[in-house]
Amino acid sequence: MSEFEKLKIVTKYELLKQFRRKRFYGVLAITIIALVLTIGLYKGLDLPGKMQQTIIDQRLENIRRQLPENMSEEMRENILAQAREYFLEELEQAGIRDSPEFFAVWVTSMGTLAILGAVFFGGDAIASEFEHKTGYILFPNPVKRITLVVGKYLACFIATAVILIISYLISAGALLGFYRQVPVGILGSLAIALMLACCVISIAFAFSSVLKGGMGATIATLLTFMMISPIISVGLSYAGYDPWFMPDRGADAIAATYGVSFEAFGGMYGGGAMMGGMMRASQDPTLSFLVLLAYAVILFQVSIWMAKRREML
Amino acid sequence: MTEAIAIKDLSRYYNNFLALDNLSLKVKRNEDVALLGPNGAGKTTALKILCGLLRPSSGTAYINGINVIEERERAISNVGAILETPEFYQFLTPEETLSYLGGLRGMRERGLKSRIKDVLKLVRLDKWEKVKIEKFSRGMKQRLAFAQALLHDPPILILDEPSLGLDPRGMMEIREILKEERKEKTVFFASHLLTEVAQVCKKVAIIDHGKLRVYDDIAHLKKKYRSFERAYLKLTEAEI
Repeated sequence: MSEFEKLKIVTKYELLKQFRRKRFYGVLAITIIALVLTIGLYKGLDLPGKMQQTIIDQRLENIRRQLPENMSEEMRENILAQAREYFLEELEQAGIRDSPEFFAVWVTSMGTLAILGAVFFGGDAIASEFEHKTGYILFPNPVKRITLVVGKYLACFIATAVILIISYLISAGALLGFYRQVPVGILGSLAIALMLACCVISIAFAFSSVLKGGMGATIATLLTFMMISPIISVGLSYAGYDPWFMPDRGADAIAATYGVSFEAFGGMYGGGAMMGGMMRASQDPTLSFLVLLAYAVILFQVSIWMAKRREML
Repeated sequence: MTEAIAIKDLSRYYNNFLALDNLSLKVKRNEDVALLGPNGAGKTTALKILCGLLRPSSGTAYINGINVIEERERAISNVGAILETPEFYQFLTPEETLSYLGGLRGMRERGLKSRIKDVLKLVRLDKWEKVKIEKFSRGMKQRLAFAQALLHDPPILILDEPSLGLDPRGMMEIREILKEERKEKTVFFASHLLTEVAQVCKKVAIIDHGKLRVYDDIAHLKKKYRSFERAYLKLTEAEI
């Protein structure tokens, strides 16, 4: 029997395990609820209109403060009116307006909550064999450790991809319902989201192959991806470096495939150079895809190497 | 004739603790040999190395003449094993678990289904075939462990405390199965239960502090030391 046939068996039963667990349905439910709430928020509160208003008001306030005090009220109003028109046009051109693309940015970004699944599925994939002693049944079989790790990885990826694809289908359905069209950028967004899932599973596997417990590996993955990586990215942005190589920056590209310019957000929260720098980093989906791919491949190799060396003590 | 199991100068350190100290042992085909020793003697370490779960610090081990360290997958394809107190995937049923393991051992689907039914019947779990293992007691899991060890009808059984967690009836049943299996298989099993060893095996290897103290027929040891218990206590440096 070839290792490929064994790989199919490992993947099949690992996938069955994932589909039988409550956490799969938990992540699916959270993702769907978040999507529905986002759609409701976007449409119910006229999110693009409110955002335009907020950004323009903040920029006009900045201008108002810089105008000479002895300027006549009429001239002041004239300048502000012209500036308002200019900013509005700039935002419209940047894509900050109610459009299928802008709507897709919001809903598909929220759909990537499915990546949580990658953390939870991958975190205990290897560690649990040692922690819960199931390895005493699985490992004394004529199958290579690498086959087991690859099979587990594929199962985690497929389980995460199922949730991701469901969330993108809901997003596409909402786009069709509201705008009668689906932006082609949604495919690029899905591709980056799937690669992000690979990257996160690889991080989780690397921790899972080293740490004693699955919970520890899950928490370590969450901390790495949601705290450590963003903190380093912000630090680099403050220091004037473009953190394009950080995984969280790569993840931002999920929303960058629709042609909406995020630099227009630059003034929204009073952000200057840092915000601009961060947003620029997420503007190249191809680069982000490659960065995530590199993390996925390298960390997966690390996890295979560690898992092969690990003993059932 | 190649031995079913050959252990050569096997040593294993856990940091500075020497768990196995140059252990050498040969088990012929169709022999049934017990590995007996007090807690921490190195029994489980030896069995784990034989099943490729641990690497030795030095020495080597062979199964049917195949080096376990160098060709692990090929060597253990001849083995059915129970190690420590195994756990199973809670979300799967015994039928699914055995299908999974049977598949990994190269068993084809058609023969596998009937074999699963047979081994589950043998360990009296046939009525629990489709129940998720999360509902199983320790004893039921041990029976399932026994079923998976026998699943592919391996010529060699390596068993670590096979009756652990079983009630007296379960222990008796497992011993009966073992007695039956040993007629056609090599059985190498670790235990600290002298009565179990005496019932199931003809030969015993007593180890203590990782060293082989004696490897002989139980009948011969009984004769030499007046009883099997005395032999064990004498050889493991305890006093009556």
